[in-house]
Amino acid sequence: MLEIRNLHVTVEGREILKGIDLSIRPGETHAIMGPNGSGKSTLANVIAGREGYTVTQGEILFDGKNLLDMPAETRACEGLFLAFQYPVEIPGVANLYFLKAAVNAVRKYRGEPAVDAMDFWELVQERMALVKMDESMLKRSVNEGFSGGEKKRNEVFQMAVLQPRFAVLDETDSGLDIDALKVVADGVNALRNPERGFLVITHYQRLLDYIVPDHVHVLVNGKIAHSGGKELALELEEQGYALYNEEPGRARRAAA
Amino acid sequence: MTAVAAQFIDPYRDRFATFLAQRHDPDVFIQRRRAAFARFEQLGLPTRQQEAWRLTDLSAPQAIAWHAPSAAPVDAGILPTLDMPTQRLVFVNGRFAPALSRLGELPGQTLVASLGQALRTHPERIEPWLDHVPGLDQHPFAALNGAFWEDGAFIHLPRGTTLDTPIHLVFHASGGDMHLQPRLLLVLEDGAQASVVVEYRGTDRYLDTPLADIELGAGATLHYHQVQEEAPQAFHLGGLRLRQQRDSTAHLHLLGFGSQLARCDLETVLDGTGAHCTLNGLILGRDRQFSAVHVRVNHAQPHGSSEQLFKGVLDSQARAVFDGMIHVSRHAQKTDARQLSRNLLLSRQAQAQANPRLEILADDVKCSHGSSTGFLDPDAEFYLRARGIPAAEARMLLIHAFANDSLDRIQLAPLRERLAGVLAARLALDLIEG
Ligand SMILES: Nc1ncnc2c1ncn2[C@@H]1O[C@H](COP(=O)(O)OP(=O)(O)O)[C@@H](O)[C@H]1O
Ligand SMILES: [Mg+2]
Repeated sequence: MLEIRNLHVTVEGREILKGIDLSIRPGETHAIMGPNGSGKSTLANVIAGREGYTVTQGEILFDGKNLLDMPAETRACEGLFLAFQYPVEIPGVANLYFLKAAVNAVRKYRGEPAVDAMDFWELVQERMALVKMDESMLKRSVNEGFSGGEKKRNEVFQMAVLQPRFAVLDETDSGLDIDALKVVADGVNALRNPERGFLVITHYQRLLDYIVPDHVHVLVNGKIAHSGGKELALELEEQGYALYNEEPGRARRAAA
Repeated sequence: MTAVAAQFIDPYRDRFATFLAQRHDPDVFIQRRRAAFARFEQLGLPTRQQEAWRLTDLSAPQAIAWHAPSAAPVDAGILPTLDMPTQRLVFVNGRFAPALSRLGELPGQTLVASLGQALRTHPERIEPWLDHVPGLDQHPFAALNGAFWEDGAFIHLPRGTTLDTPIHLVFHASGGDMHLQPRLLLVLEDGAQASVVVEYRGTDRYLDTPLADIELGAGATLHYHQVQEEAPQAFHLGGLRLRQQRDSTAHLHLLGFGSQLARCDLETVLDGTGAHCTLNGLILGRDRQFSAVHVRVNHAQPHGSSEQLFKGVLDSQARAVFDGMIHVSRHAQKTDARQLSRNLLLSRQAQAQANPRLEILADDVKCSHGSSTGFLDPDAEFYLRARGIPAAEARMLLIHAFANDSLDRIQLAPLRERLAGVLAARLALDLIEG
């Protein structure tokens, strides 16, 4: 459902992604692991359509459609979701209001009428329970004054309400204690189904104990240095990224 | 004096003697008018060499030959209402319009009336208060209003009176290059409570220089809302002065949406221990609108608190000035004074200037001030878009969130809702045109 072909991306003239190939089929969960600064968030942002990144080569197809031609909001309406590494605080916009605006924007795009107030409230209640979120967070401004854990939980909550077809989670685990991590993982696992795809970006293997991926890719210095099954995550946990440092060729040999 | 200034002032000088002769005010008020006019002549028109007027360009209103107000018919349907019972006074071209007004029962000795009429019927109740609130000594239009005011509103709540219904004052101008100088005298004696909504609006071109005098007795509480929605061609140079006694509370909401040039000069003195005052300002500027707010909060006695929040949303080539002074006198220990000016620019040509100032002579006080001016947060915009919300709608949501924080502070629900509607319509229009 998501096809990334030979993706090269520069930021302010500097090449950050240097030829990424990635193919994710419906129902699959892929994990991307890599050291800080390797380009993980850049990849996530380019998929979501953030400005400031220049794609110099390659393409991204979403169900065969050229994703790079669509503005961010169209991508979201097509069923793409990004759980932000750093969720943004929006003072003055209540969480619940924001969520309803998002749900209705997607429905409008699909030619559907605005969501029924009762149906929406039921969905919100159910999804809130899924991520064990407190009702008071609905009235508060989006992410304003939320703790790190609350922000991440709010991302998963939004995902659960919006029910995208494909979701990118950018370090949704970082800064979470083990209980919060399990809540986030349960939320994601509850949404996994044969139609839905996930790209889980993480710095640590820990999350992948709970969200077990079908494939793991190691991103180093803007390139996928190695791909494998879920066991690759454990190897990385033991051996670290040092093996892969600047020389992908050597790294691949070392990991094999 | 420059030729332009003389051209502006001379007609008032010519008119003043006739004006006085036609008034039938008690002598004491005639004396006050003379004193006010003498002060106006002494001050002259402000020039941009004067610090307080450096950023206000009066060349456009100065070059117009303004006429004394005259009566004109107005269609009641265009006047704003509040969706609740009110004591309503309407003024057309500065004069009380009884047919458009509606007054209900009032408790005891409470007076809500035309100031012009009350000057004839109750001069003794006006005399102790009018022209006695300190402040705006250097403001030429306040002085000119003192000389030439003809009508306006007089609200007098004796000790301990509480009004359950808000007082709604509507000042409508019908253009015709008239110069309107309405006056407002608002006296809440000890422990009295009231909520007042004042609306300035009109059609075509005119100059509006209203002056409001407000006295709050010990423990009195006032909710004051001023909605400046003047016609796009109009000029508005308003003055507001306020004195607060011990433990009184003033909540002032100043909303400015209209006029090509609007300026509000506000001076308040917290003249009793433990007085509390909040100033909540919101300006929406577009096209080439200029809006200025000049505030001086004087803490004269201990344990007072004041909180100012002034916001501006500026589109196209709109400009806004916020000039705010907090003055804490030597006696005003334990003062808690805060001031914040925040501007949101929606276009690269829009401009905001903030000049927050502190003058603190007491040593045991908490004072803070700050200002910020910026564009919409691109990260917030992207966050909304990444959830499917179209770019224009995302921007509207963010602007609304910025401005709505000011409207949320208004407790009077029917007014708050009407203003939210004005804001929404304005934003929708700006974004369509923008
Ligand atoms: N908006 C940006 N402006 C400037 N540099 C950026 C920007 N985004 C990313 N970079 C740079 O690109 C590199 C990769 O960053 P990022 O994608 O955030 O890595 P990761 O998420 O793997 O830690 C870093 O060197 C970072 O400094
Ligand atoms: Mg990152």
